[in-house]
Amino acid sequence: MVGLGFRREFAEEMISGTLITPDFIEFAPENWMNIGGYWKKILHRVLEKYPVLCHGLSLSLGSPEEPDKDFLRYVKSFLEEYNVRIYSEHLSYSKCDNAHLYDLLPMPFRMDAARHMATRIQQVQEYLQRPLAMEIISYYTPVAPEMSEADFINEVVQRSGCQLLLDVNNIYVNAFNHQYDAKAFIAQLPLDRVAYIHMAGHEQVSPDMILDTHGHPIADPVYELFEWTIRQIRPVPVLLERDFNIPQMQDLQKELTRLKSICHQQWKQHELVA
Amino acid sequence: MSSLPDSRQLQQRFAQHLRTGVNTAIPGVAKDRLAHYRHAIFHMVKDTMESAYPVTCANIPARKWDRMVRNFFAHHACTSHQVWKLPLEFYTYAVENNWDEGYDIPYLSDLLAFEWAEIEVFNMEDVAPAAFTSTGSWMETPLVLNPEYRLLSFKYPVHREARRARLLKEQGAWFVLLHREPVSGHVQFTGLSPWLAFVTEQLAAGITVKDILEYAPQLGITVTAELENDTVAFLVDMQRQQFVLGFQP
Repeated sequence: MVGLGFRREFAEEMISGTLITPDFIEFAPENWMNIGGYWKKILHRVLEKYPVLCHGLSLSLGSPEEPDKDFLRYVKSFLEEYNVRIYSEHLSYSKCDNAHLYDLLPMPFRMDAARHMATRIQQVQEYLQRPLAMEIISYYTPVAPEMSEADFINEVVQRSGCQLLLDVNNIYVNAFNHQYDAKAFIAQLPLDRVAYIHMAGHEQVSPDMILDTHGHPIADPVYELFEWTIRQIRPVPVLLERDFNIPQMQDLQKELTRLKSICHQQWKQHELVA
Repeated sequence: MSSLPDSRQLQQRFAQHLRTGVNTAIPGVAKDRLAHYRHAIFHMVKDTMESAYPVTCANIPARKWDRMVRNFFAHHACTSHQVWKLPLEFYTYAVENNWDEGYDIPYLSDLLAFEWAEIEVFNMEDVAPAAFTSTGSWMETPLVLNPEYRLLSFKYPVHREARRARLLKEQGAWFVLLHREPVSGHVQFTGLSPWLAFVTEQLAAGITVKDILEYAPQLGITVTAELENDTVAFLVDMQRQQFVLGFQP
Protein backbone atom coordinates (compact mmCIF):
# COMPACT_ATOMS: atom_id res chain seq x y z
CA MET A 1 0.00 0.00 0.00
CA VAL A 2 1.36 3.40 -0.99
CA GLY A 3 -0.53 6.39 0.38
CA LEU A 4 -0.42 10.14 0.26
CA GLY A 5 -0.43 12.74 3.02
CA PHE A 6 -3.83 14.40 2.77
CA ARG A 7 -3.80 18.17 2.36
CA ARG A 8 -6.58 20.67 1.90
CA GLU A 9 -4.85 22.04 -1.19
CA PHE A 10 -5.64 18.90 -3.15
CA ALA A 11 -8.71 17.61 -1.32
CA GLU A 12 -11.00 17.95 -4.32
CA GLU A 13 -8.59 16.10 -6.62
CA MET A 14 -8.34 13.25 -4.15
CA ILE A 15 -12.10 13.01 -3.86
CA SER A 16 -12.56 12.96 -7.63
CA GLY A 17 -9.79 10.34 -7.91
CA THR A 18 -9.18 11.01 -11.60
CA LEU A 19 -5.61 12.31 -11.49
CA ILE A 20 -4.33 10.70 -8.34
CA THR A 21 -5.09 7.35 -6.77
CA PRO A 22 -3.32 6.66 -3.47
CA ASP A 23 -4.09 3.41 -1.67
CA PHE A 24 -4.72 5.28 1.56
CA ILE A 25 -4.38 8.71 3.06
CA GLU A 26 -2.74 10.03 6.18
CA PHE A 27 -3.37 13.19 8.14
CA ALA A 28 -2.66 14.73 11.52
CA PRO A 29 -5.67 14.44 13.81
CA GLU A 30 -4.78 17.86 15.23
CA ASN A 31 -5.68 19.45 11.89
CA TRP A 32 -9.11 17.86 11.75
CA MET A 33 -10.32 17.48 15.31
CA ASN A 34 -13.20 19.63 16.59
CA ILE A 35 -13.98 21.18 13.27
CA GLY A 36 -17.28 21.33 11.46
CA GLY A 37 -18.69 23.02 8.40
CA TYR A 38 -17.08 22.83 4.98
CA TRP A 39 -13.96 20.91 5.96
CA LYS A 40 -15.81 18.32 8.01
CA LYS A 41 -17.95 17.55 4.96
CA ILE A 42 -14.81 17.25 2.84
CA LEU A 43 -13.20 14.99 5.43
CA HIS A 44 -16.20 12.66 5.40
CA ARG A 45 -16.16 12.48 1.60
CA VAL A 46 -12.45 11.65 1.60
CA LEU A 47 -12.94 9.00 4.26
CA GLU A 48 -15.69 7.35 2.23
CA LYS A 49 -13.12 6.84 -0.49
CA TYR A 50 -9.84 6.04 1.25
CA PRO A 51 -8.62 4.10 4.31
CA VAL A 52 -6.92 6.46 6.76
CA LEU A 53 -3.81 6.39 8.92
CA CYS A 54 -3.10 9.18 11.40
CA HIS A 55 0.17 10.88 12.16
CA GLY A 56 0.14 13.02 15.29
CA LEU A 57 2.07 16.23 15.67
CA SER A 58 1.62 17.46 19.20
CA LEU A 59 1.51 14.57 21.63
CA SER A 60 5.07 15.53 22.53
CA LEU A 61 5.99 12.29 24.21
CA GLY A 62 9.53 13.47 24.89
CA SER A 63 8.29 16.45 26.89
CA PRO A 64 9.31 16.79 30.49
CA GLU A 65 5.65 17.24 31.45
CA GLU A 66 2.78 14.74 31.50
CA PRO A 67 0.74 14.16 28.33
CA ASP A 68 -2.38 16.31 28.11
CA LYS A 69 -5.19 13.98 29.21
CA ASP A 70 -8.00 15.98 27.59
CA PHE A 71 -6.16 15.95 24.31
CA LEU A 72 -5.50 12.23 24.57
CA ARG A 73 -9.19 11.62 25.15
CA TYR A 74 -9.98 13.54 21.97
CA VAL A 75 -7.36 11.56 20.05
CA LYS A 76 -8.76 8.27 21.26
CA SER A 77 -12.31 9.08 20.24
CA PHE A 78 -11.13 10.50 16.90
CA LEU A 79 -9.16 7.34 16.08
CA GLU A 80 -12.14 5.19 16.99
CA GLU A 81 -14.68 7.34 15.14
CA TYR A 82 -12.71 7.22 11.89
CA ASN A 83 -11.48 3.63 12.24
CA VAL A 84 -7.83 4.66 11.99
CA ARG A 85 -5.58 1.66 11.47
CA ILE A 86 -2.19 3.12 12.45
CA TYR A 87 -1.51 6.07 14.75
CA SER A 88 2.03 7.32 14.63
CA GLU A 89 3.91 10.04 16.49
CA HIS A 90 7.47 11.34 16.80
CA LEU A 91 10.54 10.49 18.84
CA SER A 92 10.84 14.10 19.88
CA TYR A 93 9.12 16.81 21.88
CA SER A 94 7.28 19.91 20.78
CA LYS A 95 6.16 21.26 24.13
CA CYS A 96 8.20 22.35 27.13
CA ASP A 97 7.28 24.23 30.32
CA ASN A 98 3.69 23.77 29.16
CA ALA A 99 4.30 25.85 26.03
CA HIS A 100 3.87 24.36 22.58
CA LEU A 101 6.60 25.24 20.08
CA TYR A 102 4.99 23.71 16.98
CA ASP A 103 8.17 22.04 15.81
CA LEU A 104 9.76 18.65 16.40
CA LEU A 105 12.71 19.24 18.70
CA PRO A 106 15.65 16.86 19.04
CA MET A 107 15.75 14.69 22.13
CA PRO A 108 19.00 14.52 24.08
CA PHE A 109 20.36 11.07 23.25
CA ARG A 110 20.76 10.13 26.90
CA MET A 111 19.61 7.26 29.03
CA ASP A 112 17.34 9.31 31.30
CA ALA A 113 15.61 10.79 28.24
CA ALA A 114 15.21 7.36 26.62
CA ARG A 115 13.68 5.92 29.79
CA HIS A 116 11.41 8.92 30.19
CA MET A 117 10.19 8.71 26.62
CA ALA A 118 9.63 4.95 26.83
CA THR A 119 7.50 5.43 29.95
CA ARG A 120 5.40 8.09 28.23
CA ILE A 121 4.91 5.89 25.16
CA GLN A 122 3.82 3.00 27.35
CA GLN A 123 1.31 5.21 29.17
CA VAL A 124 -0.20 6.40 25.92
CA GLN A 125 -0.25 2.93 24.36
CA GLU A 126 -2.07 1.60 27.41
CA TYR A 127 -4.58 4.43 27.28
CA LEU A 128 -5.22 4.17 23.55
CA GLN A 129 -5.14 0.36 23.63
CA ARG A 130 -2.99 0.25 20.51
CA PRO A 131 0.72 0.37 19.70
CA LEU A 132 2.25 3.66 18.59
CA ALA A 133 4.52 3.79 15.57
CA MET A 134 7.23 6.28 16.54
CA GLU A 135 8.97 8.26 13.80
CA ILE A 136 12.69 8.89 13.80
CA ILE A 137 12.73 12.64 13.17
CA SER A 138 15.13 14.72 11.12
CA TYR A 139 17.21 16.92 13.42
CA TYR A 140 19.81 19.57 12.86
CA THR A 141 21.86 19.44 16.02
CA PRO A 142 22.54 16.84 18.68
CA VAL A 143 21.81 17.94 22.26
CA ALA A 144 24.38 16.90 24.85
CA PRO A 145 24.45 13.30 23.64
CA GLU A 146 25.75 10.52 25.87
CA MET A 147 24.79 7.65 23.60
CA SER A 148 24.39 7.12 19.88
CA GLU A 149 21.13 7.91 18.15
CA ALA A 150 20.67 4.23 17.23
CA ASP A 151 21.25 3.16 20.85
CA PHE A 152 18.74 5.76 22.00
CA ILE A 153 16.11 4.48 19.57
CA ASN A 154 16.76 0.85 20.46
CA GLU A 155 16.45 1.65 24.15
CA VAL A 156 13.10 3.42 23.64
CA VAL A 157 11.70 0.68 21.42
CA GLN A 158 12.86 -2.13 23.69
CA ARG A 159 11.52 -0.52 26.85
CA SER A 160 8.20 0.71 25.45
CA GLY A 161 7.36 -2.04 22.99
CA CYS A 162 6.43 0.59 20.43
CA GLN A 163 6.66 0.20 16.67
CA LEU A 164 8.85 2.29 14.38
CA LEU A 165 7.93 4.66 11.62
CA LEU A 166 10.93 4.76 9.34
CA ASP A 167 11.09 8.06 7.48
CA VAL A 168 13.74 7.20 4.92
CA ASN A 169 14.21 10.81 3.87
CA ASN A 170 14.79 11.83 7.51
CA ILE A 171 17.49 9.23 7.82
CA TYR A 172 19.12 10.37 4.58
CA VAL A 173 18.99 14.00 5.79
CA ASN A 174 20.38 13.10 9.23
CA ALA A 175 23.14 10.99 7.74
CA PHE A 176 24.20 13.89 5.52
CA ASN A 177 23.93 16.56 8.23
CA HIS A 178 25.66 14.52 10.92
CA GLN A 179 28.03 12.69 8.59
CA TYR A 180 27.20 9.07 9.13
CA ASP A 181 26.34 6.17 6.89
CA ALA A 182 22.59 5.89 6.43
CA LYS A 183 22.58 2.18 5.65
CA ALA A 184 24.80 1.35 8.61
CA PHE A 185 22.46 3.39 10.79
CA ILE A 186 19.36 1.59 9.51
CA ALA A 187 21.07 -1.76 10.00
CA GLN A 188 21.41 -0.98 13.73
CA LEU A 189 17.67 -0.39 14.17
CA PRO A 190 15.17 -3.00 15.40
CA LEU A 191 13.82 -3.50 11.89
CA ASP A 192 11.32 -6.12 12.96
CA ARG A 193 9.48 -3.25 14.68
CA VAL A 194 9.04 -1.16 11.53
CA ALA A 195 5.31 -0.75 10.91
CA TYR A 196 5.24 2.16 8.52
CA ILE A 197 7.49 4.11 6.13
CA HIS A 198 7.45 7.78 5.15
CA MET A 199 9.06 9.21 2.03
CA ALA A 200 9.49 12.89 1.19
CA GLY A 201 11.66 15.47 -0.53
CA HIS A 202 14.35 17.71 0.88
CA GLU A 203 16.47 20.71 -0.05
CA GLN A 204 20.19 21.22 0.34
CA VAL A 205 20.62 24.78 1.66
CA SER A 206 24.39 24.85 2.24
CA PRO A 207 27.37 22.57 1.61
CA ASP A 208 26.85 20.88 4.96
CA MET A 209 23.13 21.13 5.53
CA ILE A 210 20.01 19.58 4.06
CA LEU A 211 16.56 20.61 5.23
CA ASP A 212 13.72 18.14 5.45
CA THR A 213 11.25 20.40 3.64
CA HIS A 214 8.51 18.11 2.28
CA GLY A 215 8.49 20.70 -0.48
CA HIS A 216 10.38 18.93 -3.24
CA PRO A 217 10.13 15.65 -5.13
CA ILE A 218 11.84 12.64 -3.54
CA ALA A 219 15.53 12.76 -4.44
CA ASP A 220 17.08 9.82 -6.32
CA PRO A 221 19.50 8.86 -3.51
CA VAL A 222 16.49 8.64 -1.17
CA TYR A 223 14.74 6.29 -3.59
CA GLU A 224 17.92 4.22 -3.63
CA LEU A 225 18.05 4.16 0.19
CA PHE A 226 14.34 3.26 0.25
CA GLU A 227 14.90 0.35 -2.11
CA TRP A 228 17.75 -0.94 0.03
CA THR A 229 15.74 -0.44 3.24
CA ILE A 230 12.62 -2.29 2.23
CA ARG A 231 14.69 -5.31 1.31
CA GLN A 232 15.50 -5.58 5.04
CA ILE A 233 11.93 -5.52 6.29
CA ARG A 234 8.52 -7.10 5.85
CA PRO A 235 5.92 -5.24 3.75
CA VAL A 236 4.43 -2.20 5.50
CA PRO A 237 2.42 0.81 4.30
CA VAL A 238 4.48 3.51 2.58
CA LEU A 239 3.47 7.16 2.55
CA LEU A 240 4.45 10.02 0.26
CA GLU A 241 4.48 13.35 2.12
CA ARG A 242 4.20 16.59 0.19
CA ASP A 243 3.35 19.65 2.26
CA PHE A 244 4.75 22.62 0.33
CA ASN A 245 5.25 23.66 -3.30
CA ILE A 246 2.39 21.39 -4.23
CA PRO A 247 2.96 20.21 -7.82
CA GLN A 248 0.48 19.04 -10.44
CA MET A 249 -1.36 15.90 -9.36
CA GLN A 250 0.16 14.01 -12.27
CA ASP A 251 3.62 14.64 -10.80
CA LEU A 252 2.57 13.36 -7.40
CA GLN A 253 1.00 10.34 -9.06
CA LYS A 254 4.32 9.62 -10.81
CA GLU A 255 6.05 9.56 -7.42
CA LEU A 256 3.38 7.23 -6.04
CA THR A 257 3.74 4.96 -9.05
CA ARG A 258 7.52 4.82 -8.67
CA LEU A 259 7.21 3.95 -4.98
CA LYS A 260 4.64 1.26 -5.77
CA SER A 261 6.87 -0.20 -8.42
CA ILE A 262 9.83 -0.42 -6.03
CA CYS A 263 7.65 -2.01 -3.33
CA HIS A 264 6.28 -4.51 -5.81
CA GLN A 265 9.76 -5.51 -6.98
CA GLN A 266 11.31 -5.77 -3.54
CA TRP A 267 8.39 -7.32 -1.72
CA LYS A 268 7.35 -9.74 -4.45
CA GLN A 269 8.74 -12.69 -2.49
CA HIS A 270 6.63 -11.76 0.52
CA GLU A 271 3.54 -11.57 -1.67
CA LEU A 272 4.26 -15.04 -3.10
CA VAL A 273 4.74 -16.52 0.35
CA ALA A 274 1.58 -14.85 1.63
CA MET B 1 27.98 9.70 36.49
CA SER B 2 27.41 12.61 34.13
CA SER B 3 28.41 16.11 35.17
CA LEU B 4 25.83 17.54 32.78
CA PRO B 5 22.37 18.66 33.86
CA ASP B 6 19.66 16.06 33.35
CA SER B 7 17.80 15.87 30.07
CA ARG B 8 14.81 17.74 31.43
CA GLN B 9 16.94 20.81 32.17
CA LEU B 10 18.63 20.57 28.78
CA GLN B 11 15.26 20.46 27.05
CA GLN B 12 14.05 23.44 29.08
CA ARG B 13 17.12 25.48 28.13
CA PHE B 14 16.79 24.51 24.48
CA ALA B 15 13.09 25.37 24.32
CA GLN B 16 13.49 28.57 26.32
CA HIS B 17 16.08 29.81 23.87
CA LEU B 18 13.81 29.02 20.91
CA ARG B 19 10.99 31.05 22.44
CA THR B 20 12.93 34.01 23.82
CA GLY B 21 16.30 34.12 22.09
CA VAL B 22 18.03 34.30 25.48
CA ASN B 23 21.56 32.96 25.07
CA THR B 24 22.19 29.50 26.33
CA ALA B 25 25.07 27.05 26.13
CA ILE B 26 24.18 23.41 25.70
CA PRO B 27 26.95 20.89 25.08
CA GLY B 28 26.94 19.52 21.57
CA VAL B 29 24.54 22.12 20.19
CA ALA B 30 25.82 24.00 17.16
CA LYS B 31 24.93 27.70 17.30
CA ASP B 32 23.97 27.99 13.65
CA ARG B 33 21.69 24.96 13.89
CA LEU B 34 20.06 26.33 17.03
CA ALA B 35 19.46 29.55 15.08
CA HIS B 36 17.84 27.49 12.35
CA TYR B 37 15.28 26.11 14.79
CA ARG B 38 14.54 29.53 16.26
CA HIS B 39 14.12 31.04 12.81
CA ALA B 40 11.88 28.22 11.55
CA ILE B 41 9.62 28.30 14.61
CA PHE B 42 9.26 32.07 14.63
CA HIS B 43 8.37 32.12 10.94
CA MET B 44 5.80 29.38 11.40
CA VAL B 45 4.14 31.39 14.17
CA LYS B 46 4.35 34.63 12.18
CA ASP B 47 2.93 32.97 9.05
CA THR B 48 0.07 31.56 11.10
CA MET B 49 -0.75 35.02 12.46
CA GLU B 50 -0.50 36.66 9.04
CA SER B 51 -2.83 34.08 7.51
CA ALA B 52 -5.32 34.55 10.34
CA TYR B 53 -5.06 38.34 10.54
CA PRO B 54 -4.35 39.62 7.02
CA VAL B 55 -6.09 42.98 7.55
CA THR B 56 -4.46 43.61 10.92
CA CYS B 57 -1.05 42.69 9.61
CA ALA B 58 -1.42 44.85 6.48
CA ASN B 59 -2.34 47.88 8.59
CA ILE B 60 0.50 47.72 11.09
CA PRO B 61 4.09 48.70 10.20
CA ALA B 62 6.13 45.56 9.55
CA ARG B 63 8.58 46.09 12.41
CA LYS B 64 5.83 46.72 14.92
CA TRP B 65 3.97 43.61 13.77
CA ASP B 66 7.17 41.60 14.03
CA ARG B 67 7.68 42.88 17.58
CA MET B 68 4.13 41.96 18.54
CA VAL B 69 4.50 38.38 17.32
CA ARG B 70 7.87 37.98 19.05
CA ASN B 71 6.51 39.46 22.27
CA PHE B 72 3.54 37.08 22.17
CA PHE B 73 5.55 33.94 21.49
CA ALA B 74 8.29 34.72 24.03
CA HIS B 75 6.00 35.59 26.92
CA HIS B 76 2.92 33.51 26.35
CA ALA B 77 2.93 29.74 26.85
CA CYS B 78 0.91 28.53 23.85
CA THR B 79 -1.52 25.85 24.94
CA SER B 80 -3.31 24.90 21.75
CA HIS B 81 -2.52 21.55 20.16
CA GLN B 82 -4.09 22.83 16.97
CA VAL B 83 -2.12 25.45 15.08
CA TRP B 84 -5.26 26.97 13.60
CA LYS B 85 -6.37 27.93 17.12
CA LEU B 86 -3.10 29.73 17.90
CA PRO B 87 -4.43 33.08 16.59
CA LEU B 88 -7.10 32.98 19.29
CA GLU B 89 -4.32 32.90 21.88
CA PHE B 90 -2.68 35.87 20.16
CA TYR B 91 -5.93 37.84 20.29
CA THR B 92 -6.53 36.92 23.93
CA TYR B 93 -2.97 37.87 24.84
CA ALA B 94 -3.38 41.24 23.11
CA VAL B 95 -6.56 41.95 25.09
CA GLU B 96 -5.13 40.78 28.42
CA ASN B 97 -2.07 42.93 27.97
CA ASN B 98 -3.97 45.98 26.76
CA TRP B 99 -2.12 46.17 23.46
CA ASP B 100 -4.65 48.73 22.19
CA GLU B 101 -2.84 51.21 24.44
CA GLY B 102 0.57 49.57 24.58
CA TYR B 103 1.01 49.61 20.81
CA ASP B 104 -1.16 52.71 20.32
CA ILE B 105 -3.67 50.96 18.08
CA PRO B 106 -7.01 51.73 19.80
CA TYR B 107 -8.99 49.47 17.43
CA LEU B 108 -6.53 46.53 17.58
CA SER B 109 -8.62 44.24 19.78
CA ASP B 110 -11.73 44.93 17.66
CA LEU B 111 -9.85 44.10 14.49
CA LEU B 112 -8.35 40.91 15.90
CA ALA B 113 -11.74 39.85 17.28
CA PHE B 114 -13.35 40.43 13.91
CA GLU B 115 -10.76 38.47 11.95
CA TRP B 116 -10.68 35.66 14.49
CA ALA B 117 -14.48 35.36 14.47
CA GLU B 118 -14.46 34.50 10.77
CA ILE B 119 -12.03 31.63 11.39
CA GLU B 120 -13.95 30.47 14.44
CA VAL B 121 -17.34 30.45 12.72
CA PHE B 122 -15.95 28.81 9.59
CA ASN B 123 -14.31 26.00 11.58
CA MET B 124 -16.68 25.63 14.54
CA GLU B 125 -18.07 22.19 15.25
CA ASP B 126 -21.42 21.47 13.67
CA VAL B 127 -24.35 22.42 15.89
CA ALA B 128 -27.71 20.82 15.14
CA PRO B 129 -30.49 23.41 14.97
CA ALA B 130 -33.71 23.03 16.90
CA ALA B 131 -36.71 21.63 15.03
CA PHE B 132 -38.50 24.22 12.91
CA THR B 133 -41.32 24.62 10.41
CA SER B 134 -41.60 26.96 7.46
CA THR B 135 -44.90 28.46 8.55
CA GLY B 136 -45.61 30.74 11.46
CA SER B 137 -46.19 34.32 12.48
CA TRP B 138 -43.20 36.65 12.27
CA MET B 139 -44.62 38.61 15.18
CA GLU B 140 -45.92 35.90 17.48
CA THR B 141 -44.08 32.64 16.82
CA PRO B 142 -40.62 32.16 18.37
CA LEU B 143 -38.08 31.86 15.57
CA VAL B 144 -35.43 29.19 15.12
CA LEU B 145 -32.03 30.66 14.29
CA ASN B 146 -29.04 29.03 12.70
CA PRO B 147 -26.97 28.13 15.81
CA GLU B 148 -23.67 28.54 13.94
CA TYR B 149 -23.16 32.26 14.46
CA ARG B 150 -21.43 34.95 16.50
CA LEU B 151 -22.81 38.38 17.30
CA LEU B 152 -19.97 40.83 17.89
CA SER B 153 -19.91 44.37 19.22
CA PHE B 154 -17.10 46.79 18.46
CA LYS B 155 -16.00 50.30 19.39
CA TYR B 156 -14.71 50.84 15.87
CA PRO B 157 -16.27 49.78 12.54
CA VAL B 158 -13.51 47.32 11.71
CA HIS B 159 -15.92 45.29 9.57
CA ARG B 160 -16.06 48.00 6.92
CA GLU B 161 -12.90 50.07 7.32
CA ALA B 162 -9.22 49.41 7.99
CA ARG B 163 -7.65 52.87 7.73
CA ARG B 164 -6.57 54.25 11.08
CA ALA B 165 -7.69 57.87 10.61
CA ARG B 166 -11.17 56.90 9.51
CA LEU B 167 -11.58 54.27 12.21
CA LEU B 168 -10.59 56.70 14.95
CA LYS B 169 -13.17 59.22 13.70
CA GLU B 170 -15.95 56.65 13.89
CA GLN B 171 -15.67 55.43 17.45
CA GLY B 172 -19.10 54.33 18.65
CA ALA B 173 -21.18 51.19 19.04
CA TRP B 174 -20.99 48.83 16.08
CA PHE B 175 -22.47 45.36 15.69
CA VAL B 176 -21.73 42.56 13.27
CA LEU B 177 -23.42 39.22 12.85
CA LEU B 178 -21.40 36.34 11.38
CA HIS B 179 -23.13 33.12 10.50
CA ARG B 180 -22.19 29.98 8.61
CA GLU B 181 -24.38 28.96 5.68
CA PRO B 182 -25.53 25.40 6.40
CA VAL B 183 -24.88 23.93 2.96
CA SER B 184 -21.83 25.78 1.59
CA GLY B 185 -20.15 26.40 4.96
CA HIS B 186 -19.34 29.96 3.87
CA VAL B 187 -19.33 32.68 6.50
CA GLN B 188 -21.67 35.62 5.92
CA PHE B 189 -21.19 39.02 7.58
CA THR B 190 -24.06 41.38 8.33
CA GLY B 191 -23.60 44.81 9.88
CA LEU B 192 -26.42 45.46 12.35
CA SER B 193 -27.87 48.56 13.93
CA PRO B 194 -27.96 48.51 17.75
CA TRP B 195 -31.69 47.77 17.54
CA LEU B 196 -31.29 44.78 15.22
CA ALA B 197 -28.41 43.49 17.34
CA PHE B 198 -30.74 43.65 20.36
CA VAL B 199 -33.50 41.90 18.39
CA THR B 200 -31.10 39.15 17.32
CA GLU B 201 -29.96 38.59 20.88
CA GLN B 202 -33.55 38.34 22.12
CA LEU B 203 -34.66 36.06 19.29
CA ALA B 204 -31.80 33.72 20.15
CA ALA B 205 -33.21 33.57 23.69
CA GLY B 206 -36.58 32.47 22.30
CA ILE B 207 -38.41 35.83 22.70
CA THR B 208 -40.99 36.67 20.02
CA VAL B 209 -40.77 39.82 17.91
CA LYS B 210 -44.01 41.02 19.46
CA ASP B 211 -42.56 40.75 22.98
CA ILE B 212 -39.34 42.44 21.91
CA LEU B 213 -41.29 45.36 20.48
CA GLU B 214 -43.36 45.62 23.65
CA TYR B 215 -40.17 45.87 25.68
CA ALA B 216 -38.55 48.42 23.38
CA PRO B 217 -39.99 51.56 25.08
CA GLN B 218 -38.12 50.57 28.26
CA LEU B 219 -34.93 51.05 26.24
CA GLY B 220 -36.07 54.50 25.12
CA ILE B 221 -37.08 53.24 21.67
CA THR B 222 -40.28 54.51 20.13
CA VAL B 223 -42.08 51.70 18.36
CA THR B 224 -43.54 52.81 15.05
CA ALA B 225 -45.09 50.93 12.14
CA GLU B 226 -41.90 51.62 10.22
CA LEU B 227 -39.76 50.00 12.95
CA GLU B 228 -42.05 46.96 12.96
CA ASN B 229 -41.95 46.67 9.18
CA ASP B 230 -38.19 47.15 9.04
CA THR B 231 -37.66 44.54 11.75
CA VAL B 232 -39.75 41.93 9.93
CA ALA B 233 -38.10 42.84 6.60
CA PHE B 234 -34.71 42.22 8.23
CA LEU B 235 -35.84 38.82 9.46
CA VAL B 236 -37.22 37.86 6.05
CA ASP B 237 -33.90 38.83 4.50
CA MET B 238 -32.02 36.83 7.14
CA GLN B 239 -34.21 33.84 6.35
CA ARG B 240 -33.10 34.14 2.73
CA GLN B 241 -29.51 34.20 4.00
CA GLN B 242 -30.14 31.08 6.11
CA PHE B 243 -29.64 32.75 9.46
CA VAL B 244 -33.32 32.55 10.35
CA LEU B 245 -34.17 28.92 9.68
CA GLY B 246 -37.92 29.02 10.41
CA PHE B 247 -40.52 28.98 13.15
CA GLN B 248 -40.76 26.88 16.26
CA PRO B 249 -43.35 24.11 15.69
